[in-house]
Amino acid sequence: MGHVSGPLAQIGPWVPGKFDVIIRTTAKLTGSQRTGVSSDSNGEAPLATAKRKKKKPAAQAGPRKKVKKKRPATISSAGRAARPGKSTKRLAGSRAGTLQRPGKTAAPDGSGTGNKKRAVKRRSTAQAMAAGQRDISVSEFFAKNRHLLGFDNPRKSLLTTVKEAVDNSLDACEEAGILPEIWVHIEQTATDRYKVGIQDNGPGILKKQIPLIFGKLLYGSKFHRLRQSRGQQGIGISAAGMYGVQTTGKPVKIISKVSVRKPAHYYEIQIDTKKNQPKILNGRGDGVDIPPGDKGLRYIEKHGIEWVEQPHGTRVTIELQAKFVRGRGSVDEYLEQTAIANPHVTLHYLDPDDYEYQYDSSAERLPPEPKEIKPHPYGIELGRLAQMLEESEAMSASEFFRTRFSRVTPAVAKRICGGAQVSTRANVRKLDRSHADKLYHAVQQTKISAPATDCICPIGEELILKGLHQVVPGEFYAAATRPPAVYRGNPFQIEVGLAYGGTAPTQNVTEDLLLELLEETDTRTVRQFLIHTFNGLGGEAADKLVRAAALKTRQNPSKLKPKERQRLYEAMKKVNVAEGQQMEVLRYANRVPLQFQQSACAVTQTVLGTNWRGYGLSQSRGAMPKGPVSLMVHIASVWVPFTSESKEAIANYPEIQKEIRLGLQAVGRKLGMYLRRRLKVKQQSDRREVFLRYLKEVSAAVSEINGVTQSQLYDQLVNVAKKHTAEADMKLDDRGRPVEEKPEDLNLGDNVLIVDPSTHKAAINRVHTETEEIPAL
Amino acid sequence: MAKRPSRKPQVKLSPRDKKTMTRLTGLADRVVKAAHARRDPSVDIPSRTLSNVRYSPRKRILEMGHSKNRRQLFDLSQAKAYMRTMLVASGCKRLLDQGKTTSLRGLYYMLKHTIEGAKENTFDEQGECDTIIEDVEVLLDSIREELHLYAENRGAMVGNITLLDRGDTIDCSRMGSGGYAIPSIVEPEVIQLDRKKCQAKFILHVEKGTVWQRFNEDKFWEQHNCILTHGAGQPPRGVRRLLFRMHNELKLPVYCVLDNDPWGYYIYSVLKQGSINLAFESQRMAIPEAKYLGLRSIDFDRCDLSDSVKIALNDNDKKRARQIAKYPWFEKKRPWQSEIQRMLKNDFKLEVESLISKDISYVTEVYVPERLQAKDWLD
Repeated sequence: MGHVSGPLAQIGPWVPGKFDVIIRTTAKLTGSQRTGVSSDSNGEAPLATAKRKKKKPAAQAGPRKKVKKKRPATISSAGRAARPGKSTKRLAGSRAGTLQRPGKTAAPDGSGTGNKKRAVKRRSTAQAMAAGQRDISVSEFFAKNRHLLGFDNPRKSLLTTVKEAVDNSLDACEEAGILPEIWVHIEQTATDRYKVGIQDNGPGILKKQIPLIFGKLLYGSKFHRLRQSRGQQGIGISAAGMYGVQTTGKPVKIISKVSVRKPAHYYEIQIDTKKNQPKILNGRGDGVDIPPGDKGLRYIEKHGIEWVEQPHGTRVTIELQAKFVRGRGSVDEYLEQTAIANPHVTLHYLDPDDYEYQYDSSAERLPPEPKEIKPHPYGIELGRLAQMLEESEAMSASEFFRTRFSRVTPAVAKRICGGAQVSTRANVRKLDRSHADKLYHAVQQTKISAPATDCICPIGEELILKGLHQVVPGEFYAAATRPPAVYRGNPFQIEVGLAYGGTAPTQNVTEDLLLELLEETDTRTVRQFLIHTFNGLGGEAADKLVRAAALKTRQNPSKLKPKERQRLYEAMKKVNVAEGQQMEVLRYANRVPLQFQQSACAVTQTVLGTNWRGYGLSQSRGAMPKGPVSLMVHIASVWVPFTSESKEAIANYPEIQKEIRLGLQAVGRKLGMYLRRRLKVKQQSDRREVFLRYLKEVSAAVSEINGVTQSQLYDQLVNVAKKHTAEADMKLDDRGRPVEEKPEDLNLGDNVLIVDPSTHKAAINRVHTETEEIPAL
Repeated sequence: MAKRPSRKPQVKLSPRDKKTMTRLTGLADRVVKAAHARRDPSVDIPSRTLSNVRYSPRKRILEMGHSKNRRQLFDLSQAKAYMRTMLVASGCKRLLDQGKTTSLRGLYYMLKHTIEGAKENTFDEQGECDTIIEDVEVLLDSIREELHLYAENRGAMVGNITLLDRGDTIDCSRMGSGGYAIPSIVEPEVIQLDRKKCQAKFILHVEKGTVWQRFNEDKFWEQHNCILTHGAGQPPRGVRRLLFRMHNELKLPVYCVLDNDPWGYYIYSVLKQGSINLAFESQRMAIPEAKYLGLRSIDFDRCDLSDSVKIALNDNDKKRARQIAKYPWFEKKRPWQSEIQRMLKNDFKLEVESLISKDISYVTEVYVPERLQAKDWLD
């Protein structure tokens, strides 16, 4: 019991009270005796320290004089080690209430002995130490090191929870071949507590698997295969549940349904951190089956289970300590970016302020199922190779290489074995570590063709365009999917999408529409109204608008006076919200948005290193280009090289950077062509307008002087003007073909989408009058 | 602005007006012709810049060169100017038709209106209109007077001379303290000069009204038997033209008393050689024999002035002075070069009024008589 004092003390309230007391006091006592300084049992100390603490009482807690006389070197019997342990327990029991400042009594003694006998005295013995050495449960480890899994702070915890659940749902739906539809519901239950419910229309989970998937860390299907998927380890969702249980004490609630006719399974689960085992709380440890049909519905309603009625699917509800924010690194951002990279997904999102967002799917087809591949010899490390050799059943070395790796032909296998001076017919079971080392080096020396790249499923240019168009307001979209490439034996593929929004949605709104929007909004302040109604408008821009309209910060949008409305409208027309706006970079790895560690990422660094000035954007040295541009970069790979285990930034492999750069250049060129053309057309239309404006004046003046018929002269002049601008229309490009004048007509290939920004659906969020899709409570 | 074309002139045109009218209709006809031929209507306006001005050492005046600026209707940067040119031409045509004259400002108001279908005015400021008028002058080779335009009266004159102004006899020796206001148009049709009615022996031109007032109050013109004029700074065309006519028709020498600063030098230069902007009128206005009497940059020491009258040269002044020193008509004249260099070395300028610090009438009683006596002037 005592060995886990550190972590358990930290984990806190849900551990039965009795143990808690004992553990806490023990920790305090031991800590003080060792160091002679008052130190509370430190929850952050790694497990190893906690163990060592335990030993000290074994050596010192007995009558001190005896120990001194006998010298520590002789204290070696198991019996001695056991005795002090006993006394510790006794001590703990008796002094539990008085041990507030143990350092006072312990310190003088400890320092006194230390000074005299420091050179010879052993603090502990191997035997004593052995008593504290034991297994660490995975869940214990991660409970303590939850920052490794993205639960560093309340804000990020909320995001990670949503992210893990949504990623799992998407993986499940795609694997089952179902077009995913996902409901995300976040509700505030206390100042720092939120309830997060995520439901999908996936295949559902078998009854006996539910507790394991949600209540056991490192349980999953994705770890043991080399295949492109969002999740990798099988840690995420159960860790989220564990975090929720730790911070709020509320169990994870899961309801899952496999088919219409079968009953739905309902579980309330806690994770037994020590054993890494689920602990089912409802249905006397067995979960509850909810029968299909009306009866089940009544049951759901009666027990307040959250569930959107679906023929099949899974819903997980976690209550956790969290903080809800908007903006960078928020759930809003994550869902929006997910919708971009997964255009086949329908997302319903209800945020804590009861705003409902809906991202409709823009693609009816699922992405093709990614193939699982065997590892490429170049991508394997020595340790892994040795392990594979060890685990392999008896076969020849040649066969081993041919069957366990991709791209190894008999000829290649022969060359590898030759290089390692191992016979091709040698039994792999008989190969030892030194052979593995030789084989490993031989692999590096042998020329092996690049791995097959058909295992990667890019989003595709068409779907990137659709996804971007659906979510990011703009007028010009371009996408580029690079051909697959290889780094360190791992195939990968880079995709780049770009959205350019010329004018902000606030500038496209008509006065009537604004009045309508003001009337139907339920936001409390004008600032909120602006942010929620106009996509892509940040708080800063909203502040600017409110200031320009000379409104007060807390004014209610629906109670504005006509004059104030007018002022707001004018401010929206006048203020350039895009001023100083920088390129926004959306990074994805296997369709999962990366929201943190932007500057450490290969994507950001490559974007910064690209010269965007040639593509019609302004950019200061070493900075992001300016302008209303959103850029998405997606890396799809069976193994995405992250810089750290938190999966937040992509590592800087030159091969990856090169591919990213080529992708950026491909969309950049298209953007440059479009912007140049737009500029030219604008100049042309300005020209035409100016001419037409003055022609009437000129013809009137001339007719006054020499008496020609004014209208006739005017018509003639208009003809000349048309001829003039038509000449420009007919300009030939460098291959002698006439250049199309309208930017919309510009032929930039298939992977470009140009829309009229004023009619863009994503630009303005209308309030839905009927509140559909709210889960039945 | 759709005015019905009025072909029939309402008044009888003078031969001079007829000539102008022919030129105006010629301009309009070219537009019609170009439009008919689906060509780009354009006008070639002689350029009024320093680069297109030539100093004729023989005539000792500035002459306009031959370079021209094409102003096209179908050029984004010129379309508005072209439209304005046509507007001014039509306005002049209307004036000619009705036999009336108007001020520059009057024409500006005549032509100013909002362009149909735009929130734009044909003219926003009078200055925009004035430059176009000058363009039309050089374009049609007709001076302002021929276009029935005049500027505000500026400048005044007193002295022993009697002239006829639109039939009225004006005795310039009986003009009181205000003097005879020199009209903008002083062509022979308006003002007739008579040698017999002029007793004055020379003309003294001063820069400003205040200095002129001083001379007038001290009856300088009476004592020295001269004509006293001022041009309120840069003399307008009326003053220059009248000086020219008096100089040539009455054979009176012209002496100038101007401030000792680049501006004063340039006024003298304009009187003597003509201005760059209006080089086309030099031969009607420039007086190559005009003399520069003062103030000189040596006057601070020569007249023993106090330090308080110094006005420091600013960067602009210095730049302008160096520019003037490089003008071909000053370049070869050593006295002028040393004059300008001296001013730059002094690093201050002097106004004529600074002489008042010596004595109120120092300039009229001592300074100018002494200079005239000693024939101490710059040419």
